[in-house]
Amino acid sequence: MTAGEVGGPVVLARAAWPEPGDGAPPPLPGFVHSPFHPLVAAVARRCLDRRPAGTPPGEQTAVVLVSAQGDRASAEHVRAAVAGGARVGPLFFFQSVPNSVAGLVAARHGLHGPVVCLAPTGDPLAGGTAEVDLLLHDGDADEALLVLIEQAPDAPGTAVAVLLGGGTGQ
Amino acid sequence: MVERTPVAVTGVHAVSALGRGAEAQLAGVLAGVPAFAPVRRFDVTGRRVGVGATAGDVGPLAEELAGAVDAACRAAGLDRTGRRGSALLLATHGGPVTDGGPEVPALAGWLADRCGLGGRTRTYTSACVSASTAVADAAALIGRGDVTRVVVAAGYLVEPDQYALFDAGRALATDGAVRPFSAGRTGLLLGDGVAAVVLEAAGRRRAEPVATVRGWGRAGDAYHPCQPDPTGRGLARAVEAALRRAGLGPADVGYVNANATGTAFSDASEAAALRGALGGYADRVPVSSTKALHGHALEASGLLELVVTVQVLRHGKLPVNAGWLGPDPACPLDVIVDAPRPAGTPYALSLNAAFGGANTALLVGAA
Repeated sequence: MTAGEVGGPVVLARAAWPEPGDGAPPPLPGFVHSPFHPLVAAVARRCLDRRPAGTPPGEQTAVVLVSAQGDRASAEHVRAAVAGGARVGPLFFFQSVPNSVAGLVAARHGLHGPVVCLAPTGDPLAGGTAEVDLLLHDGDADEALLVLIEQAPDAPGTAVAVLLGGGTGQ
Repeated sequence: MVERTPVAVTGVHAVSALGRGAEAQLAGVLAGVPAFAPVRRFDVTGRRVGVGATAGDVGPLAEELAGAVDAACRAAGLDRTGRRGSALLLATHGGPVTDGGPEVPALAGWLADRCGLGGRTRTYTSACVSASTAVADAAALIGRGDVTRVVVAAGYLVEPDQYALFDAGRALATDGAVRPFSAGRTGLLLGDGVAAVVLEAAGRRRAEPVATVRGWGRAGDAYHPCQPDPTGRGLARAVEAALRRAGLGPADVGYVNANATGTAFSDASEAAALRGALGGYADRVPVSSTKALHGHALEASGLLELVVTVQVLRHGKLPVNAGWLGPDPACPLDVIVDAPRPAGTPYALSLNAAFGGANTALLVGAA
């Protein structure tokens, strides 16, 4: 364990996208139109790569993704297409919910814990950490990758990922 | 895993194309007549499929959610003070709304203010396990002693954007019927679902429980962004966790309200999960998916199906799995196909699964 605590869980690693020197995150095969999904995948990989040496991965690592409105750009594209009577591309079907990219992260990195997506009703970090703390305490997860993503109109967005372990009541 | 006493369900309410209110859901599922009809709420010209289960008299989603919360709180006998001490966990879609009402993330605050709920709020946008994850979390929060009462609310009303996406994804049943676990199934159909449930620490108030949440589990497949693990291992782990928390074995489960959407690979994965979690008892436990009757309510499906399961246990009769054409060797289960059956035990599982390989199991007990 290399860092202090945020509430109950212990911080094992942190990452952000962008960090100095970053451009756009790498494209994500199968996901189109929006920076939302590449951003989630890139910050997740960076955070998991920073796991401290000597700390074995959890057996039930949860993925908790916190975003105010999910993939807003794609949702607005679909809204406009439907309102205008245009065809909606099939790839938008599965990327219409944040679970899909959370599941992609879980599949890529072998994370077998719960997959939970939240829209923050207060401070996103505090809300996401509270969810992680509950999952760790409850025992369905022994570790969690918390990803926080913020999007702004006409900007690529920013993301932070935190790998958390060591719940408070197991 | 932390062991706990059961969490009391003291008030339930739901709206679907089967009707308005918890009793209407029970009557609808026991009648066994699917609620699907041509969609008239919006234009489906050009879609491959034009059928859904839409309620005839629904208002905007936010208003329906407020109505459901009010009804569930009334059923639980909650006065203004009781409401003020209640947390709100909301499950709904996170995208733009088409009915002019408040959007996520502001919707939870709006709903709490409107209904006088003064505790913490949290919004789940975890696709088709949103509501069931909220129920599991509510039970865990109560069990840990963080709160004594949680109102879980969930809503999805069939609207043009998700309808177009499911149609484009070729997920909708081309023959206009949902046939869970059946040979010849062609997909799912969307349906309205708005529900609210009051969960409380058992014995803390003189409210009469209508059911108990005995156990719950949440687990991931780590398999694919939008396809379930064909072995069903993630869902099986969720079921095993729910049984462990409840201190029950497979043979104690008298009914499974399955996630089964009528989708070929997904239903087969769920059958494998039941075999993995329940062993040989998977052949004998009565199973049906009430999505064949009220449709798939997406983010709200877990709460609508929990209300149905609570009502089924109260009444002691298990609903049929509508749309059945014949057995599928990939789904070797005891599917309830001809008429409702009497409940054999006071315990039932309500299962849900979602994109991202997210799985939940709720173990419900009769009061």
